[in-house]
Amino acid sequence: MEATDEDSQQGGRAENERTGLVERTLGWFDSRLGLSYQLLRPAPQYSINPFYWLGALATVAFVIQGVTGGIMLLYYVPSPTQAYATTQYIFQNVSYGTFLETIHLYTAYAMIMLAFMHMMRGYFVSVHKKPRELMWVVGMVMGFVTLGFGFTGYLLPWTIVSKSATDVGIGMIGALPQPFASSLTFLIVGSGTDAGELLRFYDLHVFILPAVLLVLLVVKMYMLESHGVSEPTTGVESLPPKKRRLIPIFPDVSIYLVELAALFGAAVILISVIFPLTLPQEYSAALAGQSVAQPDWYFLWIYQILKISAFEEAGLPVALSVVTLIFIALVLLPFIDRGKTRSIQDRMVYVTLGAIFVAEVAVLAVWGYLTPGMAIPDETALLVLGGTALLVALVSVVAYRAVFGGLRVFAKSRGGQGVPSVAASSSVPKLAPKSAAIWTSSTFVILLAAGAFFIGESINQVVSLVLGTTAALPSLALSLVGLSLTVLGILYFLYRLDLGSGAIRRRVRAFEIGWKE
Amino acid sequence: MTARQTIPEGNAVVTERMAVRIVSLLLIVAAVCVFVLWSANPMGSGSETTFALFLGADLVAVAMISYVQRSVSEQESISRAPLIAGCCFVLVLVVAGIYLL
Repeated sequence: MEATDEDSQQGGRAENERTGLVERTLGWFDSRLGLSYQLLRPAPQYSINPFYWLGALATVAFVIQGVTGGIMLLYYVPSPTQAYATTQYIFQNVSYGTFLETIHLYTAYAMIMLAFMHMMRGYFVSVHKKPRELMWVVGMVMGFVTLGFGFTGYLLPWTIVSKSATDVGIGMIGALPQPFASSLTFLIVGSGTDAGELLRFYDLHVFILPAVLLVLLVVKMYMLESHGVSEPTTGVESLPPKKRRLIPIFPDVSIYLVELAALFGAAVILISVIFPLTLPQEYSAALAGQSVAQPDWYFLWIYQILKISAFEEAGLPVALSVVTLIFIALVLLPFIDRGKTRSIQDRMVYVTLGAIFVAEVAVLAVWGYLTPGMAIPDETALLVLGGTALLVALVSVVAYRAVFGGLRVFAKSRGGQGVPSVAASSSVPKLAPKSAAIWTSSTFVILLAAGAFFIGESINQVVSLVLGTTAALPSLALSLVGLSLTVLGILYFLYRLDLGSGAIRRRVRAFEIGWKE
Repeated sequence: MTARQTIPEGNAVVTERMAVRIVSLLLIVAAVCVFVLWSANPMGSGSETTFALFLGADLVAVAMISYVQRSVSEQESISRAPLIAGCCFVLVLVVAGIYLL
């Protein structure tokens, strides 16, 4: 009996020695604060993937903006006579002032981009379907609030660029049908004086919009807690058991979020070091007449639509109605796309429409950047926008045929032997799934970047030709050759990927859930 | 063997030991970065760039420590590629920061 006690005491001592200082300290706090008590719903292992946390990263960007904006508020004065001077003071006299301003702007850009990616990812994997319809609607409203942040914050430095662009935006609101035009204009501009306008924008940017966003964030988090993260489109049953297991929000998911947030912060900081912000000239009525008003990049696609000749002058309300209809359709998407299936394979029409939307927004934005202040002839607009839609639709249809149908039929017609698999070929080294995923995604990103560049360049040269620059003809020919080669490259890439064993389907799943073989 | 492949058991142990040592080193780097961030002259020429570089190094170090901690706690194999890439990245940032000090 004594020997047993002695053994257990020795065992206890050994156990104590094994337990490090960190564990004991954490245990002490845990027993007092209940840190390991799980208040929040655990998340599935398959959600440990950056695509599931784009919204969380947008929230991180919002927090960074809150901190940097709060510091800037210590110096900024919202009046037309002092707004520019105090902004300049922050740049020149406040410690790390340029860094603060740059980080504030770039995290705003990142927030808008992340919100857009979050929305499109949700669209493609059908997160808007039952029971998450209202989550989608709330998310869309949050997206509009995010754009509102951009719109209101842009005016605050009172530079020639920001004031002119904001005036264009206010003019657009004024072209809306009554009573929306007068009520929205009064809400945003106030009495109509510069001082009233700046003060309204300041109040909206600093108090009202953050409060609205916080309330919506709480509502969305409540719904996320209620429904959990969305399942993969292929169904949970198809996943390996390890991917299906649930992990606690604290510490596992929290540590992952810290990891993502730290990398995001580092990326924004480095970009701000490489491309520091410089303050444009102060606004004055005389200078405003000499410069071309151009909104910030996230509104360029709308601005470019408004520059199409058919929509100018009397057609402006029509153009605004078109843009409004696009936004309404996006908000009401869960009630339009009512099909039960969430599989990408069975939603070719919606996936193609989504791809066309992304491509058109990108083309319009780039095009708008390249043609500041120029009216776009109707024929050119039809050519570029119609051409882009046609190109994307063709690529989408061919990709669907290659991945989900065409080549498999072709394979069967060869007596069931199929096309020799690249992966199975002894002459080609078999890549590990992870390396293959990196290789595939890198190639695809390069091809897409090349495609975007050549489309943009072609549009630019077409515009130059339309404006009468004949020297643009060789450049246009080169761009078109480049574009054709890129499209051929994409088709060949898709063909090689699917050769043999339907590899793209596996990669779609790997992109979506970070699935490892 | 590519770095992103699943690491066999023997190598996994070696990588895990390597990761633990790297984490110790990263903690020191992060502490040094924080010290530099607090002690740097905010009004000096190029001080904003130095501040940003050390802050960036600090954040990358935090991300790497989180990655190792998560992998160990979830009993997943630690890939070498992110560790090596992260260490190189931190090194470049710290060296650039010291150069500008």
